[in-house]
Amino acid sequence: MNTAARSTSPLRRHLPELYVALGLIIGPFVLPYIGINSDLMTRVLIWGLFGLGFDLLFGYTGLLSFGQAAFFGTGGFVTAYLLTTGSVSMLEALLVGTVVAAITGIVIGYLTLRRTGIYFAMSTLAFGEMFFFLENSVFKSYTGGENGIAGVPPPTISLGSTVLHISSGWPMYCFVAVFFYIGYIIARRIVRSPFGAVLKAIRGNPKRAIALGHATNRYKLTVFVIAAAYGGLAGGLLGVFQAYMPPDAFTLDTSAQLVIQTVMGGAGTLLGPLLGATIWLYLYEGLQNIAGIGAYWKLILGVVFVILVTVFSHGVGGALIQTFSRKRASPADADDDLPVESHGASSLDIVPATSSAAGAPVLEARGITKQYGGLIAVSDVTFSLAEGELRGVIGPNGAGKSTFFAMLAGELATTHGQVFFRGQEITGIGVTAVCQLGMSKSYQINQLFESLTVRQNTMIPVLARRRGSFRPDMLRGLHHVQGLDAQVEAAVQLVGLSHRIDSLVSELPYGEKRRLEIGLALATGANVLLFDEPLAGLGPEERVHVVALLKSIRKGRSMVVVEHDMDAMFELAERITVLYEGRKLAEGTPDEIRADSAVQAAYLGGMDEHESA
Amino acid sequence: MPSLSLFLSQLFNGLASGLLLALISTGLTIIYGTLGVVNFAHGALFVVGAYAGYTVYGMTHSFVIAIVAGALVSLVVGLIIERGLVRLFYGRPPEDQILVTFGVAIILVEIVRGIFGGVSLSVPTPVWGHGIAHIGTLIYPLYRLQVLFISAGTLLVLYFVLYRTSLGLIVRAGIEDSLMVNILGINVKRIFLVVFGLGAMAAGYAGVIDAPIVTLAPDMGFRVLVDSFVVVVIGGVGSFPGAIVGGIIAGEILSLTSMFDPAYSDVMLFVVMALVLILRPQGIMGQEGRE
Amino acid sequence: MDHKKDSNGNPDSGVDRRSLLKMGVGAAGGALLPAVPGMALAADKPAIGNYPAGVSGDTVFIGLTVDLTGPYSAEGSDEQKGYELAAEQLNAGAPEIKKISPLTKKGILGKTVKLGVIDAQTNPNSAVQAATRFIHDNKAMMISGSVSSAVAIALQKVCDREKTIYMAAISGSNATTGKDCQRYGFRMCYFAYTAAKAISPVLAKSLGKNRKAVYLVPDYTYGHTTYDSMKEFTEKEGWTTVGQQVHPLGSKDYSSYLINIANSGADTLVVIDYGADAANSIKQAKQFGILDKMTLVVPYMAPFLGEELGAETMQGVYGGSGFWWTLEDKYPIAKDFVTAFEKKFGEKPHDSAYTAYMVTALWADGIERAGTFYPPDVIKALEKGVKRDGPVGKVWFRGEDHQGVVNFPILRGKKPSEMKNKSDLFEVVDVIDGSTVMPPVGHFGCKLGSYT
Repeated sequence: MNTAARSTSPLRRHLPELYVALGLIIGPFVLPYIGINSDLMTRVLIWGLFGLGFDLLFGYTGLLSFGQAAFFGTGGFVTAYLLTTGSVSMLEALLVGTVVAAITGIVIGYLTLRRTGIYFAMSTLAFGEMFFFLENSVFKSYTGGENGIAGVPPPTISLGSTVLHISSGWPMYCFVAVFFYIGYIIARRIVRSPFGAVLKAIRGNPKRAIALGHATNRYKLTVFVIAAAYGGLAGGLLGVFQAYMPPDAFTLDTSAQLVIQTVMGGAGTLLGPLLGATIWLYLYEGLQNIAGIGAYWKLILGVVFVILVTVFSHGVGGALIQTFSRKRASPADADDDLPVESHGASSLDIVPATSSAAGAPVLEARGITKQYGGLIAVSDVTFSLAEGELRGVIGPNGAGKSTFFAMLAGELATTHGQVFFRGQEITGIGVTAVCQLGMSKSYQINQLFESLTVRQNTMIPVLARRRGSFRPDMLRGLHHVQGLDAQVEAAVQLVGLSHRIDSLVSELPYGEKRRLEIGLALATGANVLLFDEPLAGLGPEERVHVVALLKSIRKGRSMVVVEHDMDAMFELAERITVLYEGRKLAEGTPDEIRADSAVQAAYLGGMDEHESA
Repeated sequence: MPSLSLFLSQLFNGLASGLLLALISTGLTIIYGTLGVVNFAHGALFVVGAYAGYTVYGMTHSFVIAIVAGALVSLVVGLIIERGLVRLFYGRPPEDQILVTFGVAIILVEIVRGIFGGVSLSVPTPVWGHGIAHIGTLIYPLYRLQVLFISAGTLLVLYFVLYRTSLGLIVRAGIEDSLMVNILGINVKRIFLVVFGLGAMAAGYAGVIDAPIVTLAPDMGFRVLVDSFVVVVIGGVGSFPGAIVGGIIAGEILSLTSMFDPAYSDVMLFVVMALVLILRPQGIMGQEGRE
Repeated sequence: MDHKKDSNGNPDSGVDRRSLLKMGVGAAGGALLPAVPGMALAADKPAIGNYPAGVSGDTVFIGLTVDLTGPYSAEGSDEQKGYELAAEQLNAGAPEIKKISPLTKKGILGKTVKLGVIDAQTNPNSAVQAATRFIHDNKAMMISGSVSSAVAIALQKVCDREKTIYMAAISGSNATTGKDCQRYGFRMCYFAYTAAKAISPVLAKSLGKNRKAVYLVPDYTYGHTTYDSMKEFTEKEGWTTVGQQVHPLGSKDYSSYLINIANSGADTLVVIDYGADAANSIKQAKQFGILDKMTLVVPYMAPFLGEELGAETMQGVYGGSGFWWTLEDKYPIAKDFVTAFEKKFGEKPHDSAYTAYMVTALWADGIERAGTFYPPDVIKALEKGVKRDGPVGKVWFRGEDHQGVVNFPILRGKKPSEMKNKSDLFEVVDVIDGSTVMPPVGHFGCKLGSYT
């Protein structure tokens, strides 16, 4: 894999914007020869603009919405209505339409984003249908009901003394192309911003993104509103372009067509929807031009569509990108514009310890219990970790270690009892807040961002540390985040992955992934770390390395390690807590634990149990 | 204010239409629950079954044979779709699965339109279904009453298959955890095939049953698809009893709102669906945490 | 070349024309260039819409936005057949078409008629998209085709903006030549008001004056306006309106509404639904036994309703229609039309094909009378209201609102035993004189726009 540092000059960074600009300018001269006229091009651009927002939502954040038509329609009808009443100028009408769509996005997003996956998709569908109904019945006098709003005046822009009239045909294309290009530039900035990096993390592994300190719900709502705004603007432009705002802007068909075009063109590329729209609309018009095809055009379109979806798993755009960028580590690279300078051995920041009193425990659990119906997983465990200590937690299977750990980390609410972090109660405040306070967990099963590189993975926790749980910095570049690469490289160096820093995580061997798992927790800057079976699945040599790693990072940090590997545990830990059937069985130095008869009995004769996870 | 007898009539009517909707939706819910595939071709399979029944009825003039034919044809079509296309998509993200079934739906509907044309076709009520039933003060078409019993009976048979046979046990286990079923040595691929076929057959069978009540048009499947989604969400994804409960609720919503303001009956379905998704996303009988 | 005026009638600013020229030269791949010398040659009339570019060669293009898929696909393909027959007869200079458009020799002013078809899918947006393509790419001189009024009204407005004539095919809403009328739009066929006014006396005569009517109404503009018109005219005849059941467009299951209707105490059911909705609701009404208790009236009947429901259901049902093929016994031109249609397509024509055929013929006639394709002159020729002969008698357009004055039949479903062949579904109860049922001028608020 190509791991050499590439210098990214500003020109190189903005190559896509350049290509798109060229494409928009050249298109009108080339495309008519294959039968794409100005009207079709303009229509494609409108769908492309609609799709820019949707791709941010779906391609980059992983949120599949079947209700985008609600915003397309809302923006479109507000704009069309204002323009037909003649009360505002065209640009103002478009702006108002976009803003109203965005506000609608806040409302719908707030209600639907409480769920994920298929539930989210279905609830957006439901809201989309409700808006269609509203448009058709309740607001009929404004929207014209099933007739839509016709007679939208052609656009005029007043520039001081002259008034530009934009007639249909090529002038309209230019008009819409300008909006598309601006939308594209903004979308590119969003994608390459710290905000955009968090979006990709949410798509890749939402649970981990939350645990690494990001308030993902706020990010999701923000990108949802952005997608709504794009939709509203596109809808407004449709009405202006056609001089007619159709009621089916609100239908499920429209939302579905957007999804189809995006997936066909390639999600997560920003230009995928544009490409998909070109293919779909070109076929739609072109097939009907074939003499004698009659009503069969739809059948052929359906067959072509199924073939395209089956053959191209990342859409046509994805396939194109893969063909042309074999040398690149990942398509996501194009979005990065980190100047790669090599830093010296800079150290990884650690959140400064804010203990109230010397000797007070940094992490304390008071009588915590977790009960599931009749099953008591953890029963009345008291636990206290001192500053700088490395505590081990062991216990046979079913002892409740994972549940205990999850409660400590703030992932799981306790049924009874409280957890304190540096004197502050953290019971049930949620993993994001806990991470921001300075505690983080590394997982037994790797929770990484598989489609990103090591560098990009490590960026995520650092971004949370540098920017807090939420910052809407969509338009800033990544390189504006102070000290980002220094911290990323320090964390990567700490876990010994500097030689792999630009490799895709999916290509790493298991042992290296495990180190990255630890590295992510470290990169949050936590001063208290919880390690859930860090040696799980590692071979004997790797175990030695990871144990050495854990020892090496102790300075300035307090750690709790759950493990099955007794040798490693006795070597690492100063004190060990033993859990058995949900209760604390024993606690003491490794020697004390080894000699404890109750512990021995619990393990059924095991001092040297080697259980690979 | 509507009268009591009108209210009771609508209540009863909602039950009847709800049970048929439940029957259609069980197909959708077991496919999603077991395979994790959102089958956007479900409405199209309903249409295929209905038109197959129409054709066979035209040839044999026996409604019973038409039902069997419709069910078999949609079963076969379902099996072909699963084996030929859907199974290529099991490893792919859910949106790809949605889109391929959506594409299949378009293809099926257009083939039907190509063969039968756009004119609405009619399957007459079977001879044993002619006439009106008088239930107290309620006047109700006899055939609709029979559909109520047919739907209930079929759901009972399905219940028996799912809960009392080993095949059903495997299917339900697969709904819970298909990976585990695979590990236990059961050929999950074959289970998926069976489930998809079963789901398709349920849709096609319902299509034939429904045919004498409505007129057949190629585009009638879309409404069916959307309604069954609502039912599945309300009742709980992957839950067979949930589909029944959800179906009855949906049927009642449509019937009862029509008493007050019929224009709102459609949108009420979506309002309830949205409420369920916000307040209790796993549905009335689904399980917490399933996606 | 497109020389557009803005909405105030002022010529486009120079900025735009210059940029348009720049674009046109580079972009249009040659399509515009031949028009430039053509434009220089066109002597008398200024360019407007696709004139004279669209007729600079030997052909004249008609863009058809018919519903090939979607709920009205049966009507849509029937319309297409009507257009094709008309085009064929015009191009051949057939005697049948000369009876309708006497000045026709061969083609239209010597130009061959060419048709283009794009599926409108009963969707205003698809229709608008198709029409725009026809106008911009194919230089269409006329756009036609519709079943839904929403489509017709949207197309009318677009065509008016593009200065291309639009001939609506089927459109039942009062608004099409009412508040949504356009200078460039024409509607020949009968519609809600005329259907209601025509059928009410016929119903009063056949069924009596003291009837109680309940209505099944689809929830969109056409549904509501037809209900209003029917209510108005039946109540004039002494009927009582018991109530209406409004349902969402596209409903499949009408049981809840029919239960309400069965309980309403009415003796007449008026179904305003169209297309598949009508087929579904009426079939279910029969199953509920409602048709045994009440008489069914369908004032604005979809062309294929008889075939879709069958004679068993439709016997005794009163309905309005634009045309029925048995009119061939009464009108020679109808006989010509039905014979030619059956010869070409192997089936009887319906209302939809008849309307498509007629509007094409009338448009051709307007051009022949004007002597030019120049749209304002063609429009003025049509507005003159010259009466022509059609399959149901005299037809002409009213100048004030472009509404056609046309006769149409009221039908009653035949008993199966009375049918002479499988297409003999209706008997013609009466043929209404169109001029007696027209709304007063301006009744629906029509204000036509400018010619240019």
